[in-house]
Amino acid sequence: MGQKGFFTDTTVCIGCKACEVACKQWNQLPSDGYTFTGNSYDNTQMLSATTWRHVAFIERPRPITQGVDKATNWLMMSDVCKHCANPGCLEACPTGALIRNEFDDVYLQPDICNGCGYCVPSCPFGVVAMNENDGRAFKCTLCYDRQKDGMEPACAKACPTDSIIFGDLDELHERARKRVGELHERGESNAYLYGVDEDTSVGNLNAFFLLTDRPSTYNLPEKPKLPQNNISEGFLTGFAAAALLTLATAFSLWSRKK
Amino acid sequence: MSEHNGHQGSGRGGIKMLSPDSGGPREARGGLAGEQNTYYDLPLVKRAHWRWEIVTYFFLGGTAGGAYLAATLADLFGSREQDKQLIRLGRYIALVGMILSPIMLIKDLGRPARFLHMLRILKFRSVMSMGTWALTMFGVLSGLTASHQMAQDGLLNWLPAKFIPRLLKALPIKLIESIGSIFGLFVAMYTGVLLAATAIPLWGRSRRILGPLFLTSGLSTGLAAISLFLSPQRKQQASLERLETAENIAATVELGLIAALIPTLGPLGKPLFKGKIGRLFTSGTIGSGLILPLLIRLLWHLSGRKPSAATGISASLLTLAGGYILRHAWIHAGRASAADPDAVHYYNEHEWKGKQ
Repeated sequence: MGQKGFFTDTTVCIGCKACEVACKQWNQLPSDGYTFTGNSYDNTQMLSATTWRHVAFIERPRPITQGVDKATNWLMMSDVCKHCANPGCLEACPTGALIRNEFDDVYLQPDICNGCGYCVPSCPFGVVAMNENDGRAFKCTLCYDRQKDGMEPACAKACPTDSIIFGDLDELHERARKRVGELHERGESNAYLYGVDEDTSVGNLNAFFLLTDRPSTYNLPEKPKLPQNNISEGFLTGFAAAALLTLATAFSLWSRKK
Repeated sequence: MSEHNGHQGSGRGGIKMLSPDSGGPREARGGLAGEQNTYYDLPLVKRAHWRWEIVTYFFLGGTAGGAYLAATLADLFGSREQDKQLIRLGRYIALVGMILSPIMLIKDLGRPARFLHMLRILKFRSVMSMGTWALTMFGVLSGLTASHQMAQDGLLNWLPAKFIPRLLKALPIKLIESIGSIFGLFVAMYTGVLLAATAIPLWGRSRRILGPLFLTSGLSTGLAAISLFLSPQRKQQASLERLETAENIAATVELGLIAALIPTLGPLGKPLFKGKIGRLFTSGTIGSGLILPLLIRLLWHLSGRKPSAATGISASLLTLAGGYILRHAWIHAGRASAADPDAVHYYNEHEWKGKQ
């Protein structure tokens, strides 16, 4: 079966948002309302329980070629659940609703989720969210249902420039590295891969990206931390405090008279 | 057009322009050079949805654990004769806390009817999973202890099945309450670690302090709940005196832990110590919840006279209110922390550097 994932190459994204629409349509997600944010063409703003693909737009002036004063260069990036190798959401889930499926993707089983909401603050990328009307948490499924029928995810299918490519992780890595090499040769030395060969506690991302600016520009964490790594320290001091306070209280309540 | 960068509303630093020769953002990312950007100042992580139900549960769970521990220790090391009321109160307070706690938790769920799904698995990497099981165990054991107490108090004599009160009275209560206390301590403590094991900067950074802090606060409020009902009763002076010692120790430890937060958090502590929540936390918990009761007890102690019932009640109520406000402040400050992308970058950066 192999590990399946996404390679999102932001250098060929044209910001058409076909991925957002296709995702909404396939998963029958409701609209998020009618807001004009004024933040370039991004009126969606972030991933949510009802938005599982979100296109980010950053306009910036940038010297591109010699002799040209200033041109505006656009950064467009289709954000999605990262399907991490070490997912904070999955480790946090107390019901076992979040699992790793046979395609190695992180899947939230909607028939098990009871809406405790603990996965939401546990994601270092701020992906998974609660649907207030429904009561459960939701996120990108990497079109698990389509994959089971041998189809590629809706967003990858809809993307007109193949900015979003779905496939075997190994093949995607190879393709991505080649692409970065090509870009470097052409002088675009800012290109790099985000989510490949990562040394963070979150590990590699099954849905990885080719970016051309630092991650924080795209609202991505630069060195994401797996929140569950905080547990051992937390309990260590907690148990020590428990022991000491028990002793102190026992000492206080001790009475010679029985 | 060229003046308009896509960085509206932030007004700090703008976007770092990268020259094609810089080697790319990977270098900048590795050394985390310079100030990080934000995406229109939009939040990077997402806040927990928890509202008053979870604040109340944190408070009830901690108080129940603290009260149960006090009753247990008094039963094991105190005076069986003098501390009868103390033990009784501690066990009943724990019972009430453990009846109300699941109600709060189930009410908070998005799908309350599925609350039993919490018991499908036991996952050590999920603090909530461990907490659910500890809560269940503590509920059973504190329920047994309270039932034993009710049988002792003759409250179950109306039952037609006479063997039930007899059976309850015969339970090995010292064993049950000893094991129960361990679970009770866990219940009081784990909610702090629950917060710390998330991506919220304020909570994550406080990971060494939150467990002990919530535990100490639970002990404080548990003891205060007991002394609240003990103060107006006659002939409880001996118990109250020893209880007071325990309360003073807990309050002092709690103050120390809160003080330790300031250097630990640095600028990440802003949502907790500044603004509306900061004022509430400082005056409600630190001021009137901890310092004031300590002062009251100290002044009475120096005067040489025994504190009046009214004084005892006031000090207890202040402590209880302070404990509730502490939980409220932490949850709401966490929301503000989650909404701040700069805080997330600061937190991640420092955590990464700490690893090197």
